[in-house]
Amino acid sequence: MRILRIAKEGARALAANKLRTFLMMAGTIIGIAALTVIMAIGKGTEKNVMKRVMSFGTHAIMVAAGGGRGFSPPDANITTLKLDDADAIRDQIRGLEFVSPTAQKRAMPIKAGAAQTEATAIAVRADWFDAWEWYVRDGDPITDEDMAAMSRVCVLGATTARDLFGDQNPIGEDVQIGDVRFRVKGILHSRGTSPMGGDFDARVIIPLSTGLRRLFNQDHLFNIRIKVKDASQLVPIGEEIRRLLRERHHVTPPQEDDFAINTAAGVAKMARGISGTLTYLLAALAGLSLLVGGIVLMNILLISVGERTKEIGLRRALGATQGDIFRQFLLESLSVSIIGMAAGSLLGWAVSITLARVTQFPVVISWEPFALALGFALVVGVFFGVQPARRAARLKPVEALR
Amino acid sequence: MIELESIEKTYLAGSVETRVLKGISFRIEGGEYVAIMGASGTGKSTLMHILGCLDKPTAGHYRLGGTDMVNLDDDALSHLRNGKIGFVFQQFHLLDRATALRNAMLPLIYADEYPADAHRRAETALTAVGLTDRMTYRPNQLSGGQQQRVAIARALITNPTLLLADEPTGNLDSKSGAEVMAIFQRLHRDGRTIIVVTHDRAVAEHADRVIVLKDGMIAEDQPVARPRDAEAEAIALAEKEVAQ
Repeated sequence: MRILRIAKEGARALAANKLRTFLMMAGTIIGIAALTVIMAIGKGTEKNVMKRVMSFGTHAIMVAAGGGRGFSPPDANITTLKLDDADAIRDQIRGLEFVSPTAQKRAMPIKAGAAQTEATAIAVRADWFDAWEWYVRDGDPITDEDMAAMSRVCVLGATTARDLFGDQNPIGEDVQIGDVRFRVKGILHSRGTSPMGGDFDARVIIPLSTGLRRLFNQDHLFNIRIKVKDASQLVPIGEEIRRLLRERHHVTPPQEDDFAINTAAGVAKMARGISGTLTYLLAALAGLSLLVGGIVLMNILLISVGERTKEIGLRRALGATQGDIFRQFLLESLSVSIIGMAAGSLLGWAVSITLARVTQFPVVISWEPFALALGFALVVGVFFGVQPARRAARLKPVEALR
Repeated sequence: MIELESIEKTYLAGSVETRVLKGISFRIEGGEYVAIMGASGTGKSTLMHILGCLDKPTAGHYRLGGTDMVNLDDDALSHLRNGKIGFVFQQFHLLDRATALRNAMLPLIYADEYPADAHRRAETALTAVGLTDRMTYRPNQLSGGQQQRVAIARALITNPTLLLADEPTGNLDSKSGAEVMAIFQRLHRDGRTIIVVTHDRAVAEHADRVIVLKDGMIAEDQPVARPRDAEAEAIALAEKEVAQ
């Protein structure tokens, strides 16, 4: 095929002048590599965000004791969030599925025989398991009866169970949390580590009533987890809860809330935070470098057309049509940008993987940057190749040979 | 075979018209060896470009093997050049990075049908010009005379109707020049139609017929009574070289 023979001529011209060919590619390589890395980081960040959102729950609202902006951890010293607040929310606000108040203390000493460990003690009502969609692996959960009877029973997290009992079955055994003895009635499914790096499974769950009166000796809550029936109502319901709590806590402007309301959207926003903006900025810079790369490509091609005037004239004399010359130069431009894209993708891929290994930064390698790069390469190759190719094709053979 | 009829060429430089060719008519039969002579500025190059279908006349007709090129568009002219004309230039115009073999094959890239035996044809053409042992050499590894012979092989590869040489010895020493002219004479004996454009009477007299241009018109169109023998000249020059 004639077009293949012409493509071969173009390839030979590129191979003949390797430095020029490399210079033509450099911009594309750098631009595409940058884009690949940025997209890998962007995707990694997004995956992290989704992980947090999913672990938070898409239908969830969290009311935490203690004010402050953003997604700050609940403040253990704030004592204003009470069980009455949780009941008021449950009774006065429509569209809720669960209202699950908890009180908790971190790093509670817990013993079983000679074994000893520390765990976060969480005092809950029976609906906690549904509210967190976190159920027992063995044995039974905390029930309403446990709550009413203020029973000294507990459910262990997987890590805590292993720390205290090893391979033995802990169910029916006694443990001592702080100064109080509890009987183990269940073990939770393992949930691994949190996005922040904490161990979700180093915990012990006890009835809320028992926790408040017998263990913590307090009447304030740590947080209230609420699940709405309709996720689209998350924001208005959140606002209603805020209004209700401000009223109940007698918070008036300009005082700040003594509680914080968080939703999945808020979590995502926090998690994306600066990195999201930065990703867009960097992507824009990478795009810009591609544009500059394209312009450099065009410039070198134009210079090359000038340098190769005699060659073009000769080819025309030997029978090349204007179309043949146009196609040869356009194919040269396309090859340069496609090879540059391939090299840039490989480079970006290598950098992404190295980055992931070295910095533990979340990086996701996906097909999208490669598809995008190919698209860019074709657009750059054609867009910046047409003008030089046209100039080459329009050279008059008589003048070109002079 | 080759027929020029009242060929005129006028260039416009701003509002100034320059008539370079003022009605050129001649006929060249198949197998003729013709030299077109003239000092610079006589329209010799312009005529060469028209004969090579690289440029079109302002008026007149030029028939090459039955086709009047005056009515053809750029693509058709390219096609005509590829199939019917073999060019030999003063500056050789070889591709620097390509071997002799690849240079000789270059016109075939633009042929309608790429011949399956392209390689062998190039080898045959290079053998015909005495470069059997230089096929894989690049131009910078060859002497001027050898480069011009690669160019002749390239011109022959499409088996053209007309071999058109523009000052083929202009960049060569006299011995290499004589060798190149000897090749033309040999091709002529084999039946090729050859036109050599030159300013040099001595070069022109290797041909059978000399057309002299003067001021855009034909001043003289005569057969050469006894064409010079390029082969004998080449041998004489070689012997002289050995003697020195």
